[in-house]
Amino acid sequence: MSDVAEGIGLGGTQALDERYLMRTYKRAPVDFVRGEGPLLWDAEGKRYLDFLTGISVCSVGHCHPDVIKAVREQTQRLMHVSNLFYTEPMAQLAEQLSESSLGGRVFFANSGTEANECAIKIARKHAHGRGVANPEIVSFESDFHGRSYGALAATPALAANEALGPMLPGFRAVPRSDAAALREAVGENTAAVLIEPIQGESGVFPITDEALLAAREACDEVGALLIFDEIQTGMGRTGSLWAYEQTPVRPDVLTSAKGLGGGFPIGACVTGPVAADVLEPGDHGSTFAAGPVATAAALAVLAIVDDPVLLRHVRELGAYLCEGLDGLEGVRETRGRGLMVGVGLEEGVDAAAVTADLLERGLVVNAPRPDTLRLLPPLVIDSDHVDLAVGLISESLLGFAPR
Amino acid sequence: MRRRGKPSDIRKDQRALRTDTAERLEAIVEAAERAAQGVIDDAEAQARRYLAQAMAEADRAAEGRSDELYDLIEALLGQAVVLRQEAERLQATLEVARERIDIGQEVSEERPSQPEGPAAPRLRAVEDRRAPAEFSPEPVAEPVDRRRGDPAGARLLATQLAVSGSSREEIAERLRNGFEIEDTDAILDAILGPEA
Repeated sequence: MSDVAEGIGLGGTQALDERYLMRTYKRAPVDFVRGEGPLLWDAEGKRYLDFLTGISVCSVGHCHPDVIKAVREQTQRLMHVSNLFYTEPMAQLAEQLSESSLGGRVFFANSGTEANECAIKIARKHAHGRGVANPEIVSFESDFHGRSYGALAATPALAANEALGPMLPGFRAVPRSDAAALREAVGENTAAVLIEPIQGESGVFPITDEALLAAREACDEVGALLIFDEIQTGMGRTGSLWAYEQTPVRPDVLTSAKGLGGGFPIGACVTGPVAADVLEPGDHGSTFAAGPVATAAALAVLAIVDDPVLLRHVRELGAYLCEGLDGLEGVRETRGRGLMVGVGLEEGVDAAAVTADLLERGLVVNAPRPDTLRLLPPLVIDSDHVDLAVGLISESLLGFAPR
Repeated sequence: MRRRGKPSDIRKDQRALRTDTAERLEAIVEAAERAAQGVIDDAEAQARRYLAQAMAEADRAAEGRSDELYDLIEALLGQAVVLRQEAERLQATLEVARERIDIGQEVSEERPSQPEGPAAPRLRAVEDRRAPAEFSPEPVAEPVDRRRGDPAGARLLATQLAVSGSSREEIAERLRNGFEIEDTDAILDAILGPEA
């Protein structure tokens, strides 16, 4: 296959984007046309090592043959019938997600945001069942749960945008990992504590065990639900299928998306027994969700990821990656778990500029905050890829580190 | 202009030329066959080497996978033992509770004149929900190291880590760092079984 695409090229694409797309994104000047495993190619044929994977989406690498095979076979057989009927992949995926985690029921969505919307509905209805008239959901500041109005209200940093107001009422936030503040915030009106076990979009910050235990205990005391947003952390990203498996608590509900479809859009809200029967016919729904193609793709991804050998590989490679990064000039600290790594840069080193420089050098990462690089490589890379990435980051930082 | 010889001479020359050409062709074909055979031999030898390497790698991978499965089975067996022990403990606790309730009933039957009050709360996991008034602006001061001495949290962490395939060393490290438990053997032995 030629690495040079016969298309309109970067300039042509940028011109169309500028004229016809809403200006909601600030894109890097690259037009990707092909991906394979951990590699990407742009329209000019330049090759890149992808340590972002579409923000943790292509966790099994680009165009994994098993995922392609599942999608191709399903698209040739049946693409969509709606949730008015049964389809086999949907039921099989629900079984596997439930059995691999909380053991309750599953609602499928098309994205992580939608999965969180479902979780919010479950929390509110569950609270009404306890006699709570004005249920409230507690999150951590810097949490990111999505951009629809429910999920947005649980995302304090974005909910502060008054131009989009008024926001959905019934949400409050406490400082990240502040166990005492969390205990104080949770009361009789609390419907749920909705948190990311490792905050991703805000820069990869693991929530402390102490805060997670406080959340669990506080929820148990008032009968609220503990909901983990595992959209970025789940599906093996941290070295266990779900991040909660490496914490001292077990949530009542978890949400998944991103890596679940291996590049195909799908989200899921998975409950434990306590919340399994909260939603009833008419409470929630979706036209496209649980479609046979998306669920077939996710089944293929799960078959790859839910493997103790791969998960151990993720843990070991994550440790190896951090070992390589720690001590580099310009690096202050590394954070995260498994192959979800935040690289805190020394003061004065602009993460956005480093990201742009790394892109020039052929390494794709992103900067979720001004002092942090975020690395979300495919789970199937090996130590050679890590060595290459660490080498490129090291070279790049030499040009930015304060003298 | 070349002179042509007698027809008989020409035929002789042609026969000789044919014989010579046939011999040369035969030699060329033989040489080509020898070369081809050499290529085939080399390819077969290389294929055998690749096959041997692949089989060795497959054996190594299978061995590794077997070890992983063995570890997992060990972990699951360990958890089954823990669950059985916990079930037995729970059963014993329930027996005690039932005896206490029986005694309580006997006592209450003996004292029918007690004033009527709100029904006693039923046994449930969390008995003393804090009243809303307790959620005052005054922060609920919890010690920073609340994790310390939280055996339930530590045990759940260890169990979940074991189920997710973490090694004994990985779990021990998390228990030491997260819960400040120095002697992790008791929890690990209960979940994973005694170290071999």
